[in-house]
Parts: sequence; C-alpha cells; structure tokens
Amino acid sequence: MSELVRSYLVVALFGVAAVGMVAVMLGLARFLRPTRPTRQKLIAYESGVDPSGSEWVQSQVRYYVFAVLFVVFDVEAVFIFPWAIQLEDYGLFGLVEMGIFIAILALGLGYAWRKGVLRWA
Amino acid sequence: MSLATLLAFERPPIDWHAIAPELTLLVVGSLITLADLIWTERIRPLMPTLAGAGLLATLIPILTLAVDGTDRVMFGGAYVIDDLSLVLKALFLIAGYLVVLLSVDYIRNGDYHENEYYSLLLSSLLGMVLLASSRDLITMFMALELLSIPAYMLAGWRKGGATSNEASIKYYLMGVFASAIMLYGMSLLFGMAGSTAFDDIRVALAGPDPSGMAILGVLFVLIGFSFKVSAVPFHTWAPDTYEGAPTPVTAFLAVASKAAGFVALLQLVYVAFPTREDVVEPFFWIMAALTMTVGNLLALRQTNIVRMLAYSGVAQGGFMLAPFAVVGDAPEQSIKAVVTYLIIYVFMNLGAFAVVLAVAARTNSGEISSYSGLFHRSPGLAVAMTVFLAGLAGIPPVSGWFAKFLIWNALLDASSPQGSLLAVVVAVNAVIAFGYYGRIMREMWMSDAPEVTEPHFTVSRALKAAIVLTIIATLAFGIYPQWAARFGDISTSLAL
Amino acid sequence: MLVNQFLLLGAFLFCTGVYGVLARRNAVMVLMSIELMLNAVNINLLTFGYLHNAVSGQVFALFIIAVAAAEVAVGLAIILLIYRNRASINVDELDLMRG
Repeated sequence: MSELVRSYLVVALFGVAAVGMVAVMLGLARFLRPTRPTRQKLIAYESGVDPSGSEWVQSQVRYYVFAVLFVVFDVEAVFIFPWAIQLEDYGLFGLVEMGIFIAILALGLGYAWRKGVLRWA
Repeated sequence: MSLATLLAFERPPIDWHAIAPELTLLVVGSLITLADLIWTERIRPLMPTLAGAGLLATLIPILTLAVDGTDRVMFGGAYVIDDLSLVLKALFLIAGYLVVLLSVDYIRNGDYHENEYYSLLLSSLLGMVLLASSRDLITMFMALELLSIPAYMLAGWRKGGATSNEASIKYYLMGVFASAIMLYGMSLLFGMAGSTAFDDIRVALAGPDPSGMAILGVLFVLIGFSFKVSAVPFHTWAPDTYEGAPTPVTAFLAVASKAAGFVALLQLVYVAFPTREDVVEPFFWIMAALTMTVGNLLALRQTNIVRMLAYSGVAQGGFMLAPFAVVGDAPEQSIKAVVTYLIIYVFMNLGAFAVVLAVAARTNSGEISSYSGLFHRSPGLAVAMTVFLAGLAGIPPVSGWFAKFLIWNALLDASSPQGSLLAVVVAVNAVIAFGYYGRIMREMWMSDAPEVTEPHFTVSRALKAAIVLTIIATLAFGIYPQWAARFGDISTSLAL
Repeated sequence: MLVNQFLLLGAFLFCTGVYGVLARRNAVMVLMSIELMLNAVNINLLTFGYLHNAVSGQVFALFIIAVAAAEVAVGLAIILLIYRNRASINVDELDLMRG
C-alpha cells in the first residue's frame, strides 16, 4: 500500500465509524418506537402553520437586480482583501489606486441608483 | 519563499505618456456615464458627439507616441507600446469613430438607450486598445473580456426584438464557452512556463518535440480566438448574431471585434508561440482552407444582404488566416499580409455596412432584392456600394486586390508545397467570391427598379460622412498600395 | 502536495462542463456548465502556481473570478430578457434565423 493511500486510511476509518454510528442509532430507534403514520404527520413542517401552495416556490424576479449588484460588490472585495493586507507597503500610491478602482465601481452603483433600480416598486 | 517576500512591493514606474490613450478613453467613457447620471435624458442628443470627440481625442496621444517613436515596455513586460501596437490602436479607434457615425441615426430613431450604447461602445474599444499592447496572459484575457462583455450587450440592444435577443444569447454563449476553452489552454501554458509573460512561454515551449501539454495549451488558446474571428467550424454564431443584432453593432462586430481577434492571434503566434510553428501551421492551414471555402459557399445562397456580408466576412477571415499557415517559412511576409489586409478590410467592410444602413433606412429591408435598380434610384449609393463590393472581391484598382496580392505573396514566398496548395485554395475562393459580390452589383446596375419607387434617397449627414471617408480610404489604398504597405512594413518588427 | 490529483480534478471538472454545455438545453444550465469550466481553470492555475511557486497563478485566478461574475451578470440579464419575450429559455427553440 502506497504512502498516499495509507494517509487516506484514517479518513476512510472515520467515514466507516460515522456511517456505522448513525446506522446503529437510527436502527435502534426504529426497532424500539411504535409506528402509526397518519396524513397529518406527513405534512411538511412549516413553523407550525399549515403549509400553503406547492413546495416549488419561485422567488420574485426583482431580486435579480439586487443579486447582481451584490455579486459585483462581493467580487470587488476579492481585490480589496489582498490590497488591504499590503496597504502599509503600498502607501499613498496604493490608496489612490484603490480610490480610482472604487470610484469606477461607484459610478456603476450610481447608475443603478439613478435609473431607479434600487427602488422597490 | 514566503508570501511576504514574494509580494515585496515597489511602486511600478508608470510611463504616463505610454498609457495616455487608454486613460483618455477610460476618462471619456466614465464621463459619458457620469453625464448620463447627472442630466439623464437631456444629454442624449449630445452623446454621439461626445463619443466621437472622445475617440478623436484618443488619437492625439497615439500620434504623439508615434512621433516620439521609442518602444516602451511596462509592467514587467506585460504591456508593450511599439509602432505596430500604435498602428493597430489607431485602426481600432478610427473603426470605432466610423461605427459611431453609422450608429447616430439608427440609435436615435430606434428609441434605444443612447447614453448606455456609447459608453458600452467605448469600453469595448478600450478593450481592443489594451489588447493591441498585451504581452501577458492576464492582460490579454482582461482586454479580451473588456471588449467582449459590452459586445454581448450591444448585440441584444433591441431589447423587445426576438431576433436581437437570439443574436445576443448565441453570441454570449459561444463567446463565453470559447473564453473558457481559451482559459484552460492558458492555464496549461502557465503550468509549463510558471509565468504568464509571453516571453517566458516562448522559452518554455521551445524544444525539438512538443509535449502533449504544450500542444493542448497552444491549440486551446488558438481555438478560443478562432471563435472571436469566426473561423469555421467555430463560426456558427456569426450569421445569426450579425443578422439579429442592430446593423451598426453588426458592423462593429464584423469589423472591429474581428480585427481585435486577429491582433490577438498575431501576438500569440509571433510573440508566444513562434517556437511551436509545427503545431501552429497545420492548425491554421486547415482552419484557413475550411473558413474560406465554407464561408464563400454559404454566402452564395444568401438572400439577406446582412447575412451575406456575414458569410463574406467569415470568408474574408479565412483569407486573413491563410498567412498564419506559413508563419515559420515566411514570417515577415505573413505578418505584413495580415496587418495590411486588416487595415484595408476595416474600411471597405465598414463602407459596405454604411451603404446597407442607408438603403435600409429607406426601404426597411435587408433583402438583396431591395437593391434592384438602386442605380436609378440613388446613383451615389450604387456607385459607393460597387466600390466596396469590388474591394471585397479584389478587383483593381480598389484596395482589396492589394490585400489578396500580399497573401499570395506570403504563401508563395514560403516555397513549401502546403503554402502553394493554400495559395491555390485562396485563388479558387477569390473566384467563388465574385459570384455573390457580382450578384449584388448586377442587381443594382442591371435590374429595373421595382414599381413602387421612392423618388428621393435622403442619406443622413453622419452616414454620408462615413461613406465618403471609407470610400476615400478604400480607393486611396487601392491606387497607392504603398500607403497601406507602409503600415504593414512596420509590423514586421514583431517577426524576429 | 497532490499536484496530479488536483490537475485531474481540474480536467474532470472541465470535461463535465464541456459535456454540460453541449448536452444541456436549458440556458441557465449551460451557463452553470461554463462556470464549472472556469472553476476547473482556477484549480489548474492555483495548482500550477503552487508548483512553480508563482503568485501570478493566484492573481490570474482572482481575475477570472471577477470576470466570471461580470459575465454571469450579463448572461442572466440576457436570459431574463429572452424569458420575458418568449416565456422559455430552451436554447433549442432559438431558431428564428436560418441559413
């Protein structure tokens, strides 16, 4: 057995133990408890309220714009994190550069705001 | 090595003069968006002027850089300003200016979002200008995406139109798929070289026998750009996108975007892959032969003029791919042929689209039959269209013949059997192309005008200006081919 | 490190993505398949970056993530537009133009 496969042995053992433990506990419970299924018991649990409509729910398409705006700014953070770590080295130069970067992104946000995208109507 | 030492920072020296064109374009693009934010609808009539002026202003630093004449290398070799890149940047900007001229009336009359249209056009052009200088995988990828993503949106500009939607989604899916393939190739090249710089990749690729990884990397990157230049078999998006997109955008995609694809191919083949001509040459041989033949044969059976121009554009792309098949044996002639062809192609194809727009504004039709008897209805437009078609077909004294001549020159100069064979394929295809270009000419000059004739063709000022500019360039390059050839000669500096 | 395994994972993801693009008919699924391909590229870049001890691999991956987000935003917008106009996002039904 190669070194590589051996190093995965622990993982495999853990996996077996985990599956085994769950199987034993659930199996024991099933063996001990009484089973009397009724229609009421099979309804999906929805915070104690009677569920309404089908379980296939489509969300409002208006969320889409917010999702896109979120993605844009979320991804912007990808560039800001490494920059922030090194900011002391970059000094003023880095600050100005990032300022320009954010200004251009802000232009995009300003555009969305001005076109009324951010208003929920 | 720890991360901290790897990232040890020193402020990169920035040559402001060298990146002045890009900065100008960026500032103008941002200003257009800002103006849109502040004045919204009131600024609309000014937009084309602003965009056009911005493009012309960007030409100024390019001229001063050209006068200065020194090669500038920046960002650790990732960005190079040399004479060739300046010529190409100027070409993109002039093409962009002509597209703005084509767009003015179309976009104004169509109740489209004018402000956004021009800022997207400028950002796409910024991508092209960046592409002309990129000598690094990351820079090239970013430039390519900067030019592509706005183009996807422009293709779908007629938001309510089902064909425009379709044009946009096809272009988008194919484009993104292609860039994913290209990126996988790039990751393999990076894996070989351990660096993203083209110079390092060239060194890493050198050697008698290419590894499988090298072949795969090179091919994937080339395939990615083959989509961009709509080379067969990666051309399937082009006709639908061209037909469905607004016609000025079609002109932009068919000319500027395609030219950008060729510029990227030039840089890759000449700077990054010159040591792997054994992989590059057969690839381009097959692509060029297929692209020319399939494009021409399909163009023959089109009845819609935009669709015909789309397939003719595919075929023209095939002609431009042909010199790549002999880069190893005749590097200087090849690059000269491609660059000269690009310069000539931009003007004659944009001119043809300008006439199509002028005719469509009147007849509301893109069918070739609507050109019958055009000479009787509008002699000026008929003459202009004849010049552009003659150029595309390669009839002297219009410029196209010289472009084709240079291609044959390169192919025969390689003095290899496959080069000569491809020259024969080019010749056969040049003859086939006469078929469909000639059909439109016959329609315009020989056929009678339809019964219901519009007595007066009024062509808007902007379109007139575009047609006059392109016609001058097309004729001038045809009669004085040395003018175009001078730009081609500059390009040979890349082939070392 | 397990360089080969990561490269194999990348190749596998890439092939899955290509298969998805070619086989799926729903535009959103095609888009997701393309994302899969891009992430395969990211895995490759990070692995090679580690192998060569080069930061540019990570930098490249960051740029790809950012560009992919922009691409998806545009792509979803186009798909939304198509859905509004024709109430379907099946790419096979997009055949208004022929020839």
